Amino acid sequence: MRPETITSSGRALTWPLLGAAALFAVLVGGGLAYQGLLGTGAAERLVTVMLIDAIVVVGIQIYVGNTGVLSFGHIGFGAIGGYVFALLAIDEAEKLKRIPDAPFGLVGVELPPLLAIVIAVGFAVACAFLVGLGLGRSGAASGAVAATVITLALLFVTHEVARNWPDLTGGDRAGLAFPIRGSLDSRLPIYGGLLIALVVGRMFARSRRGRLAQAAREDDLAARAMGIDPLVQQMLALLISVAVVVMGASLKVWEDGSILPGDFFFQYTLVTLVMLIVGGRNGVTGAVAGVIVMTIGRELARRLGQDGFEVFGIGLDRAPLDWIFRENLQTVFLGVAMLGFMIWRPAGLLDDLEVDDWLRRRFAPADGAPAPALADAAMTTPSRLSVRAVDVRFGGFQALAGAGLEAGGGEVVGIIGPNGAGKTTLVNVLTGMVEPTAGSFSINGRELVGQPAHELARAGLVRTFQNLRLFGALTVEENVEVAALVAAEHHPDRVRQEASALIAHAGLWEHRHRRARELDYGNSRRLELARAAAMAPTFLLLDEPTSGMSDSESVAMVAQVKGMADAIGAGVLVIDHDLAFITGISDRIYVLDSGSVIASGTPDEVQANARVKQAYLGSAAG
Amino acid sequence: MVELAQNLIDGLGRGSIYALLALGVAVVFGVMHLLNFAHGELITVSGYAAFWALTNGWSWWIVVPLIVVVAVLTSLVIERVAFSRVRGASDFTLLLTSFGVHFVVSAIFLLYVSASVKNFPRPAWTTSSTWSLGPLQIETFDTVVIVVTMLTLLATNLLLQRTMFGLALRAAAADFDTARLMGVRSDTVIRGAFALSGLLAGIAGVFWLMRAGSTTPSAGIDPMLKGVLAALIGGLGSLRGAVLGGFALGLAEVLLRSWLPGSIAGLTEGFVFALIALLFIFRPQGFVAVAHAERV
Repeated sequence: MRPETITSSGRALTWPLLGAAALFAVLVGGGLAYQGLLGTGAAERLVTVMLIDAIVVVGIQIYVGNTGVLSFGHIGFGAIGGYVFALLAIDEAEKLKRIPDAPFGLVGVELPPLLAIVIAVGFAVACAFLVGLGLGRSGAASGAVAATVITLALLFVTHEVARNWPDLTGGDRAGLAFPIRGSLDSRLPIYGGLLIALVVGRMFARSRRGRLAQAAREDDLAARAMGIDPLVQQMLALLISVAVVVMGASLKVWEDGSILPGDFFFQYTLVTLVMLIVGGRNGVTGAVAGVIVMTIGRELARRLGQDGFEVFGIGLDRAPLDWIFRENLQTVFLGVAMLGFMIWRPAGLLDDLEVDDWLRRRFAPADGAPAPALADAAMTTPSRLSVRAVDVRFGGFQALAGAGLEAGGGEVVGIIGPNGAGKTTLVNVLTGMVEPTAGSFSINGRELVGQPAHELARAGLVRTFQNLRLFGALTVEENVEVAALVAAEHHPDRVRQEASALIAHAGLWEHRHRRARELDYGNSRRLELARAAAMAPTFLLLDEPTSGMSDSESVAMVAQVKGMADAIGAGVLVIDHDLAFITGISDRIYVLDSGSVIASGTPDEVQANARVKQAYLGSAAG
Repeated sequence: MVELAQNLIDGLGRGSIYALLALGVAVVFGVMHLLNFAHGELITVSGYAAFWALTNGWSWWIVVPLIVVVAVLTSLVIERVAFSRVRGASDFTLLLTSFGVHFVVSAIFLLYVSASVKNFPRPAWTTSSTWSLGPLQIETFDTVVIVVTMLTLLATNLLLQRTMFGLALRAAAADFDTARLMGVRSDTVIRGAFALSGLLAGIAGVFWLMRAGSTTPSAGIDPMLKGVLAALIGGLGSLRGAVLGGFALGLAEVLLRSWLPGSIAGLTEGFVFALIALLFIFRPQGFVAVAHAERV
């Protein structure tokens, strides 16, 4: 797979851009139609608020959707940016009235609002960078609690600072305000901001970094094993996301004409989060749908709460629902919507369905391209994996005791042993998921022990998992492409096969547009193999690749493993406890028992070995 | 020196309430991996019950058990209505579900009572009564809080160590899936955990409400934050850590308040949050780390 075919070619970006335009048209067109129909100032104001909310929610979606980390802190960044914007844009006379003692000579500063927005975005993004370092330090993983708490703390810190620094913010009651008529009087900046937000949101999701972030969202561990460092993608998503949120927040301040600490706090966090999760947090289209649905729902609830059925022109003496139609109904509606969706439809209305995907399926149906074949294997310099005297101890349990082996590129080395012999632990050591207590391993003399998982994957040690770990929400094609992206970046020199050819070789060609989580067991295993091969590994580490497969499937798997390994010029380390499978596939075999190698040699030699018969066959086959 | 001792005692009193709240949060986290952002709602609901009872002339002697009972019942109802439906869901869903419960409960009071603060009389001894220990002036209220908390923690410890339910709860907290395989009934354990969590919140709520003397629809945010943060400081999943976290948080607040110069004393809360964020950045697993290795 040449990476440019999915990242930078103009054609690949056409659809997301079309999608962003379609969403923009729906929001703006629908809004204009509504306010034209009602013709009231209140209707116009409602639409303006909806458009600004859409910017903010799409901004939050870029982080929460792509990384899977729940953030309560984005509105806190909105507060930071909102204050920077107000401090820079409000005129001197007004500031002299409200905050005469403002620090940093801010009283004298008066910038054009658009420039003030740019500076506000820059300032908040710088803050986000620091927070992002912290989030990374805490090991933010998908849905990680620590990260969520840090973002929550951020929200409260900004709120407390805003309340307690009246010289800067005008404090809790007065706040900062534009002079009368100083606030936003045209919608053009809002339209511009919305378009930027939608385009950025869609482009990021389709970009290389966006895909890698989504892969890490789906399975953090598998992503690391594929050579992805999730923290880098998360940081990028955070910065872009904060930039968009702050743009929206500044527009909100400009439009409102004022800012108070309470404007960007719990209530607004709730409103935006509910919009995001109701629509579907994993997609920009979902975020927009949530904004529309919740704006309509909230307005309806507010009006019902005020006037009951008279909203519909039905005046009843004693309306039957008076006990529900009370003031503040819209707040209950928000809470109930959040709770209801979490319980019954946690993925939201649209999940990660994007309008451009839908359009593409509708108007540009997939071509019936024939399955491509693997390219001829090129000659590669042979690699050598050496594992020396590895010890692993879990508390009092010795999982590996001085295990060692040698494997060359181009050969298939089987590792066999009963359950608990330490086979999976050995793979875990070689892929950085378990730190060995002692011992070392190297490829071509390059020492690798102690490297983090994603570095080992980049060094060429790529694994599959005994318990499947696919990127479930991504399609078959995307699963393999993500790996190909990493390979293109880190092994430009190695033999890489087209992602599509690997998919075809794995027998998944007709399933390539399906989500990985919809595949059956055998296909999932084959997809893991194809994904690992797309990483262009030096050594492919297969952890029980046939577990759960039928005998005939296992036989087919042997051919697939060999075919792929040849095509990418990789050595294979395959683990299993099925002697027939291992002897069928391997050139050489190591027998592991109680954490040590008790025998090694060709399949015939191993089968004839007395210790093996006693230790392994004696107990497992006897 | 005297000031420090005084602060320590104040911090202990404050920390006691946080410890009870945090323990309730940790117990629930143990059985269903749920960080309960709705924990403070137990105090909101009990607060309105107390307000109703006290304005109808009930005595505090009856209101105290009323608060505890209401907290337990509320905890069980919330489990039944909301949390039982998201068992085993992703962390993301669980977090937002509890966040949603928080908002629904406070919105209901907003709808049916009002947004305004509801005041109720506090018992006289909670405000003015003190006793001296050498140079130290100790509030009777703090003394009662500390003593009752210690007794409660002792009783909880006995419950956890000596009963089948306690064993099941600790087993579930250590490894929920395995505990279930070993025959621990998840329904019973989860409901029991929510009841215990409600009981602890109820006892904390008595003190919280006696000190506050008022309630509002959003009154739950503060105790929720204190409980959740303290549990996190201690390391989620560790019951002992949660209690320690509660005391640590109480002490940190009191000490910060006395050390910060007057002009920024209002920022105490902000500093506490910033400290907690730093704690999570450098020690995301809390003080008392619980080993959580993912099997691959």
